[in-house]
Amino acid sequence: MDSQEQFRFVEWPMPFLAIVEVDLQNLFRSRITYAWLIVGVFLQVIRVLSAPWGWGTSIIVVQGLGDFILIWSMLIIGITASAVSSEAGELADSIMSKSVKRHDYIMAKFTSRIMYVMTIYLLISAVLVGAATRLLENDYDMSGLVAALLLVALALIMLTTLGVTLSMVTSNTVITIVSLLVIWYSMTIFLPLVDLEFMSPSSMMNELLDIIQGVWNGEEWKIATSFGGISIIAMFLSILYFSIKDL
Amino acid sequence: MTYVVETTNLTKIFGSKVIAVNNMDLAVEEGTIYGFLGPNGSGKTTVIRLLLGLIMPTAGSIKVFGENMNMNSAHLRKRIGYLPTNPMLSKRMTPITYLDFVGRLFSQTKDQRVSRLSKLIRSVGLLPSASREVKGFSTGMVTRLGLAASLMNDPDLLLLDEPTSGLDPAGRKSTLDLIEELDKEKTIFVSSHILSDVDRICTHVGIINEGKLIYSGSIKEMKKHIQGNVLRLELDGDMNTFCDRLASIGGMAAFERRGSFTVEISFVSEISTLKAIQDVLGLIVECNLDLISMNSSTSRIEDAFLKLLEEEESRGFARAV
Repeated sequence: MDSQEQFRFVEWPMPFLAIVEVDLQNLFRSRITYAWLIVGVFLQVIRVLSAPWGWGTSIIVVQGLGDFILIWSMLIIGITASAVSSEAGELADSIMSKSVKRHDYIMAKFTSRIMYVMTIYLLISAVLVGAATRLLENDYDMSGLVAALLLVALALIMLTTLGVTLSMVTSNTVITIVSLLVIWYSMTIFLPLVDLEFMSPSSMMNELLDIIQGVWNGEEWKIATSFGGISIIAMFLSILYFSIKDL
Repeated sequence: MTYVVETTNLTKIFGSKVIAVNNMDLAVEEGTIYGFLGPNGSGKTTVIRLLLGLIMPTAGSIKVFGENMNMNSAHLRKRIGYLPTNPMLSKRMTPITYLDFVGRLFSQTKDQRVSRLSKLIRSVGLLPSASREVKGFSTGMVTRLGLAASLMNDPDLLLLDEPTSGLDPAGRKSTLDLIEELDKEKTIFVSSHILSDVDRICTHVGIINEGKLIYSGSIKEMKKHIQGNVLRLELDGDMNTFCDRLASIGGMAAFERRGSFTVEISFVSEISTLKAIQDVLGLIVECNLDLISMNSSTSRIEDAFLKLLEEEESRGFARAV
């Protein structure tokens, strides 16, 4: 490696890391984050403590993870929908007018929003799983539990990437939020009609109980592949679109 | 002659509806302070965004430092500083954190960033507010911070989009002073619709109207566009006698009273300006008037600007040729 190549290697991540860091700082300093964490943890603790006698870990964990798909997804939609569109003026003036490449910016946005959602998800689900495994009847399989957590994480990553993608395409945050809500909740209704039920987050929820108990039926891989695939395609299209977009 | 900015047939049409920039050939020489003048909505900001590669031209080409500018020309933007009209900053940042962030966007090392930002914060007069959050800043302070950010990478080309817009007279003066104090080695491109600002700091000027560049050249050349010389006097005393006797001065083309104290006198271009001024000053003494102020430059650049706009509009269909 010659000196010029070394310089480029050192130089490349700096704008990307700076944007990720500032975006994460802004997100973690917001009141929404504190409220989400407090309410999320509180709900999971209450759920475990109020579980009926004889209920096992698996059912409570499925219910707790369901919160992310059904309730907290709305918050994720709100947070990701404003990722790019809320910066419309600031974006061009403060960031893109500097020595920043388009793909650096958009990848930084994906990275920071995914890191943020995953951090909150892991903190809340850690409380849920920790409390449930200690206080309730152990009817779970460890690898199944990890797989269930990963599948929900993939679903949330898919929602986050779709949110960032749409926020870049439309400059109006409200339109992005409405579009995401329609996409997310209509998946449950329309995907089964075209034999793509495994791509629906609600169908995944139906599979979670078996997965946590260690009963595998092969659908898990299809679910994981479809969520991961949609996320990667959304990211790829975003980079392509953003590289030719007027700011 | 080296050109820092060169555009050829530059055209930008938004959504097949609005022609924001119309077949523009712009050339900015190295080391000049180029004033980009035009009425509101004439396309000044669009041209700056095109020069930065934030938007792509519909037709034509842009060369900056001799290389084609496009959306991924991060290496060219590394040599450009940009001050937007109303810098939008993250409200929770302080001048130190903001400038550090900008430095990181230019891939500067920590040592480079710290040394540069402390120097800039001092020179734009934000030292007492260096660790205060931006949300409480006045427009003038935000502009000064924006100017510091535009200099963070020690640019060779500085693009300033209406840097005095929204500032009070004190803020405007200090901003213009800062621009004047900048390194003479830099090429500065200042868009504005405030003619006196351009007259004060610029060496060259371009005039844009409805997306079309209607004049580009030195300020001196632009001023020659106005026929005759204009002298604007502010006087105290018996103005009527003075105005009655003005007609007797040789070489005077016309005069116009503006309010109770001001008179604007135009001379034919053939006579010596010095001689005409001497005659007018002699008349002021004879009429026993007090001379409050006398200037010609501001009104001349205004007149030249308006004359160029009128000429352009009067050409009608010929403008397309």
